[in-house]
Amino acid sequence: MQAQAEGIRTVFSDPTNFNVKHPLYSPWTLWFDSPATKGRNLPQTPVSSFPQTPAPPTPGATAAQGWMEDIKRVISFDSVEEFWGLYNHIVPPSQLPQKANYYLFKEGIIPAWEDEANKNGGKWSIQLPKEKNRHNVDKMWLYTMLAAIGETFDPSPTSGESLEPSQHSLITGVIVSTRPQFYRLSIWTRLAPIGAGGEDDKLRERIETVGRHFKTSVLGYSESQKLAAPLSTEVEFLSHKDSEKKGKAAKKIIV
Amino acid sequence: GPLDISAAKRDNSAAPLSALATAKNIERLQDVEYPEGVRSPREDLNKDAKDGKFRYDRDFLMQFMQLCKEKPLNLPPLDILGIEPVDQASFNMTRGGSGRHRQASGT
Repeated sequence: MQAQAEGIRTVFSDPTNFNVKHPLYSPWTLWFDSPATKGRNLPQTPVSSFPQTPAPPTPGATAAQGWMEDIKRVISFDSVEEFWGLYNHIVPPSQLPQKANYYLFKEGIIPAWEDEANKNGGKWSIQLPKEKNRHNVDKMWLYTMLAAIGETFDPSPTSGESLEPSQHSLITGVIVSTRPQFYRLSIWTRLAPIGAGGEDDKLRERIETVGRHFKTSVLGYSESQKLAAPLSTEVEFLSHKDSEKKGKAAKKIIV
Repeated sequence: GPLDISAAKRDNSAAPLSALATAKNIERLQDVEYPEGVRSPREDLNKDAKDGKFRYDRDFLMQFMQLCKEKPLNLPPLDILGIEPVDQASFNMTRGGSGRHRQASGT
């Protein structure tokens, strides 16, 4: 064991000749779309490069496929070192055109609510006025990505022993969106509380912990800070099923 | 004098690309000794870690930012994907560290 440990060179001890890298909890894929990417025919489109699901297509899945033609798969990575190589060569949110989105999702999960991993879930999100946050948004997005790939959003990603390993963590992906007046950051979760009851209460608590971590450690607000204002929202959670019910009173959770 | 082509060639085959391509995944975080001044990953995040599924805190992850600047080999040209900075000048200024490979691919 001693000999093995001595042979290990990280990027810190030898930046040009390291022989080990830091694997991530899960591999991740970065996706992008903007009005300019719509209808572009690329050699590598997500629909054709993505493994087809064996299940018969449902109306939802078909709709998702149409939308998926407009979203571009950028790259996948599975180590800390590769993440930073990408980060250092990609355009930060403050420099993106309007109506653009980055989606960083676990490999194998399509960034759409129709995906098996997302359909019973929901999202934490916050909307921030653009003018005031032009200088913050890049750091907020970086910290959001780091909490996602470092797997620190979910306090207990390994809970639920009966589930598949890939099911353990609540987080499926994170999104940053640029709009003419604001930015939006979102954290997507695999599950969402549906009502009341023992297991559901536990899940609700776990979801709320994710939201509080997002608000305080990632975005840098204090726990009790009120954020809602013209063009901005609180840090709020909504299940994808409730998001669909436009108009009806949705059960939001706010931290 | 004559152009020093050999230096340019050496630069193209710079070590970091092959280091990342051939580096193996760390199997046990306990085996890794970090140089003085480098923080280890927070231990409480990994006390039940198995199968190389590690969790990393932000302070640990931020330490890689200035070290890992190699452009990923499989990164498609960003303009083809529609990822184009609206303000090219300030983009280049704030991202100064990545110049070498950008230039290499452009000439």
